[in-house]
Amino acid sequence: MIEIGLGHYLTLGAIIFSIGIIGIFLNRKNIIVILMSIELILLAVNINLVAFSIFLGDLAGQVFTLFILTVAAAEAAIGLAIIVVYYRNSGTIRVEEIDQLKG
Amino acid sequence: MMAHSLFFYLFSTIAVFSAIMVTISRNTVYSVFFLILVFVSISTLFIMIGAEFLGMIMLIVYVGAVAVLFLFVVMMLNVTQQPIKFSKKKGIINNISVGLIVGIIIFLELIIAVGGWKYRDAFVPLSSIDPYLNMSNTHALGNVLYTDYIHLFQISGMILLVAMIGAITLTFSRRENIKRQSYFQQINRQKESSISLVQVESDKGVKIDD
Amino acid sequence: MEILILFLPLIASIISGFFGKYIGDRNSEYLTSGLVSISALLSIFVFYQVIFNQYEENIVIATWINSGSLDVNWSMLIDPLSAVMLVVVTLVSSLVHIYSIGYMSHDPHKARFMAYLSLFTFAMLMLVTSDNFIQLFFGWEGVGLCSYFLIGFWFKKESANAAAIKAFVVNRVGDFGFALGIFLIFYLFGTVNYSEVFQQIPTITDKNLLFLGLEVKAIDLICLLLFIGAMGKSAQILLHTWLPDAMEGPTPVSALIHAATMVTAGVFLVVRCSPIYEYSPLILNLITIVGMTTAFFAATVALVQTDIKKIIAYSTCSQLGYMFFAAGVGAYNVAMFHLFTHAFFKALLFLGSGSVIHAFKDEQDINNMGGVWKKLPYTYTLMIIGTLALTGFPFLSGFYSKDAIIEFAYLKGNTTGYYAAGIGIFTAFLTSIYSWRLIFKTFHGEYNNKEVEIEKTHESPLVMLVPLIILSIGAIFAGFLFKDLFIGHEGSIHFWAESIKFLVPLSTEHPPTWFLLLTPCLVLLSIPIAYYLFVKNKELPSQIANMNKPLYNFLINKWYFDELYDVIFIKSSKKLGLFFWKFCDGKLIDGFGPDGISSFIKKCSIKASKFQSGFIYQYAFVMLLGFSALLTFLIIK
Repeated sequence: MIEIGLGHYLTLGAIIFSIGIIGIFLNRKNIIVILMSIELILLAVNINLVAFSIFLGDLAGQVFTLFILTVAAAEAAIGLAIIVVYYRNSGTIRVEEIDQLKG
Repeated sequence: MMAHSLFFYLFSTIAVFSAIMVTISRNTVYSVFFLILVFVSISTLFIMIGAEFLGMIMLIVYVGAVAVLFLFVVMMLNVTQQPIKFSKKKGIINNISVGLIVGIIIFLELIIAVGGWKYRDAFVPLSSIDPYLNMSNTHALGNVLYTDYIHLFQISGMILLVAMIGAITLTFSRRENIKRQSYFQQINRQKESSISLVQVESDKGVKIDD
Repeated sequence: MEILILFLPLIASIISGFFGKYIGDRNSEYLTSGLVSISALLSIFVFYQVIFNQYEENIVIATWINSGSLDVNWSMLIDPLSAVMLVVVTLVSSLVHIYSIGYMSHDPHKARFMAYLSLFTFAMLMLVTSDNFIQLFFGWEGVGLCSYFLIGFWFKKESANAAAIKAFVVNRVGDFGFALGIFLIFYLFGTVNYSEVFQQIPTITDKNLLFLGLEVKAIDLICLLLFIGAMGKSAQILLHTWLPDAMEGPTPVSALIHAATMVTAGVFLVVRCSPIYEYSPLILNLITIVGMTTAFFAATVALVQTDIKKIIAYSTCSQLGYMFFAAGVGAYNVAMFHLFTHAFFKALLFLGSGSVIHAFKDEQDINNMGGVWKKLPYTYTLMIIGTLALTGFPFLSGFYSKDAIIEFAYLKGNTTGYYAAGIGIFTAFLTSIYSWRLIFKTFHGEYNNKEVEIEKTHESPLVMLVPLIILSIGAIFAGFLFKDLFIGHEGSIHFWAESIKFLVPLSTEHPPTWFLLLTPCLVLLSIPIAYYLFVKNKELPSQIANMNKPLYNFLINKWYFDELYDVIFIKSSKKLGLFFWKFCDGKLIDGFGPDGISSFIKKCSIKASKFQSGFIYQYAFVMLLGFSALLTFLIIK
């Protein structure tokens, strides 16, 4: 327990990943929390990659983390833009009221 | 290594706690703040573990750009404070319990998957560059990034470009009923469409507005 | 030329039925009556040929079925038996057509009526001219169908519809037996053509079959099954319930179908199959018993009926019983003779009663008539002629035929024969009582009608009287003119030749003279008795009725046959039908079939549509569930 090894980091990543997942479908507030949960998920993946990179001595993990970072930023921007436009059109971002996909 | 583990536990506890608060916090602005806290603590973990370039980049990009973007949008959209509504279904099987159970299952599976791997002996490194070859982390990354992974680098640049254009396209709105100048139209004006010679009869006048 | 006899009525029916709207009612009446009259003239001509030139022919019109060993043709068999029937059917039919022009003059659906009458004529002609059992069955079913159409002609009346269905269903019971008989014939002989079957009959006289667990002689079984068909069509006892209710149809229909033609199809069947019946003495005895019981039963019920048409209907039932019991004692030619004469006087009686009903403005209850013999002279005279013929008044046609039946029954010699002769004489007495009752209550006594005043009753138009006059000529003279031909000792053998088979030639003796005189005396006596009961002393019948209340009730409820059938068959069939409909059809088949499947699909799809809630996080949740399931599966593997 004292000696921090790969497993600890991986566990941490797993916990944050699960929290992100739970956050997607447990929230009752608004869409932005969903986007934030997605960021948490990506973060957990980043932790995993970096941990592996350090512990295995392979730099590819960090390179990939960089790219994930890029993509996460781009995706957050686009997602927020979509939310802004949606809000302009429908006036609400409450989760219960966004059900236009209802079949 | 005592300090190492102590700091690890400290920061990871803060990270987990903040992550939980992101999802269950009432105020959306508080959620964003807790998100920033998660990012910061994970950054410190990265720095602690030796990947300081990434840690810094995370602070700059995630916290400085993404989280601020979140804040902007939150403020712009006038998100009201909402009470936490419990799910409609009363009883043992309701949304929260189901969600929790599923989340726990996923977590356990991840552990199992990783744990199963952990006890393997053979692992082959992909990149043959030893990161701690008397270089800083940044230097080492720079060596690799612009040579072996140049294509991916360019592509990620393209992704950012596309994202930017996309965001602008989505949210750009032109206000109607405003007089604007269109330079092209002004320059391209021809003689035929602007001037016409009319023979005017005396005492008759000419009709202009038609 | 003979084919014209068969097809002219069909053409008339098709034109009048489908194009009656376009050619007008008057034209369709003239067309149908004209074509059927031409048919009648042609059949008289053929009959003449058969009598004097021994004309016999089997004209094959077309092949119908040629499948394996079953070979059935559409054909016209002209032999003495069918020639007689041709004359009867076409003559009575054409007279009824002409009569209907006058009787149905107030009806808006004249063209349809004429078309049905002609169609019926065609089907009956098909029946009598067939040379195989299948065409016979075709005609059989055809007349049953036309009977349904015609009885239910005034289809807006609830009782007419019910009566039509009753006729059809009761006939169907008989037809079932008949069909079984035909199947058995095909099974035993491999053919259904008359000539081939009749040739092979003597070869199976000893054959036994297992039927419903009992061992019976094959010939007996065939005869029994065919007779069940005849019982249904000719309204013999047990399957007679439809005949009185069939009086819901217009009077010309009753005259044509229920006096002269359709109901005689059963007699025709038995006589045509005489080669088969001759080999089955058991069933011949059964036929005699059934015939005589029917005659007696119908006569007793007719004594207390109050509807003029129902009295005549029961009289028909009774006379058919006579015909069957003539066939049962082996005197087929006498049965045909009685059929021939009966057609005339029964049609006369029915059409005459139609004339009376017309005069009283559609009143049919004889208690509401009376005292009009001076106002309706022609009708009165013609009805008297018909009644005299029916009762067997000496020297009119009925006398020859009916007395011949009783004579041959006596000459048969065995117990059944004596018994039958006795009942026959008593029934003849009852027949004359109720016939004269009808005459006296309708035409004599006081005028009892509340609705129409006596001055308003008028004689029928000429178009209705002329057919009556022609029929009365037949009723008076047909017996005397044709008796040597039909039942005379040498003449009839010569005439009938091959068409009727006699295993044992009919005896040529005469019964004792006292016996011969018995019937005419009773008949003559009944006239003053009836006069006394129904004109002079009107209270006596009701006093007799009150003294014997149970007997009177028994008779007026037609021996409670309808009630008996209601309890035994109808209630249980209705319950069974209801059960099958509501439970089996409704719950089981529909429940597991269309309704069940569709409601199940609906429920499933409603549940499935709840997946499309529109909430993105739920979609993400579902994706997650799938992902974790996949992961679990991979891990466990």
